[in-house]
Amino acid sequence: MNSIPLKAALAIWLFLTFSAASSRSQMASNHDADTAAIKQFVANFADTWNSHDAHGVAMHYVEDGDFSSVKGEVSHGRKELEDHYTMIFTTFLKNAHTTDTVRSIRFLAPDLASVDIDWLVNEPSAPGGVLRKGLLTWMLSKRNGQWMIVIYHEQSF
Amino acid sequence: MISSRLKVALAITLFLVFSSGFAWAQMASKTDADSAAIKQCVAAWEDAWNRHDAHATAAAYVEDGEFSSTTGVPSHGAKELEAHYNEIFTTFLKDAHRSDTVRSIRFLTPEIASVDIDWQMTGARTRDGKDAPNRKGLLTWVVTKQRNGQWMITIYHESAF
Repeated sequence: MNSIPLKAALAIWLFLTFSAASSRSQMASNHDADTAAIKQFVANFADTWNSHDAHGVAMHYVEDGDFSSVKGEVSHGRKELEDHYTMIFTTFLKNAHTTDTVRSIRFLAPDLASVDIDWLVNEPSAPGGVLRKGLLTWMLSKRNGQWMIVIYHEQSF
Repeated sequence: MISSRLKVALAITLFLVFSSGFAWAQMASKTDADSAAIKQCVAAWEDAWNRHDAHATAAAYVEDGEFSSTTGVPSHGAKELEAHYNEIFTTFLKDAHRSDTVRSIRFLTPEIASVDIDWQMTGARTRDGKDAPNRKGLLTWVVTKQRNGQWMITIYHESAF
């Protein structure tokens, strides 16, 4: 006959096993939801970039976001970022169009993700119409449920 | 005359101000120590690279570390990383020498930091063995603090310009 302590231990064990499995599946589905949200965020960034909306692009960054260009030139914070985007959208990139395709996402913490994005910039006067081709490497942070850029790096090859 | 209740409140206020100042100073010195440890991690990696020691260069990464080259070609995990370094150290970079200078460190959490590093290289060759021009660019790493307090490379990106 089972003793009462044994039954209690069995009940506790079953409860722990069940709740661990349920929290694991919840974690996986959170992960899927975050992956989808990040892809949506990247698509939205590209749309905003393609409408040459400097303010809108800068608002995809956290307040103290960091940007560095293909030449390693930096912009820091929303004001500098907006100035940078205003400059490029009114000069050498005023007819440019970007196509950004998420290559991989690596979660470093539940609210911190590194994202690699294959990147193509078309510009009518560039040779073959291609001005840049390379990789964007972003660090995103989830703030109040919204993924945003903390650090933006880009390379052209 | 100061009431005893006011004295107690004053003592508590002073204690809180003092202890928060102390915690602040401790946090700042921790960040300084971590910044120094991260610079040490970069210097040790640079040294292993300049000895063309593929195993030691790969050992600066966490077990499932990620690398991508200036042309976006990735290597993933200790085995692939070592094979990658073996390949470059026995072919077009066998006489190459690099120098790396930490430009900035941004802590994303106390255990995760993004590091930008200016790099330069001499002695590189083209894939067909001819002298190549000197190279320079930016390394952008994500480093993580391990349980033993050591910082290691989790993600390595590099660009050349």
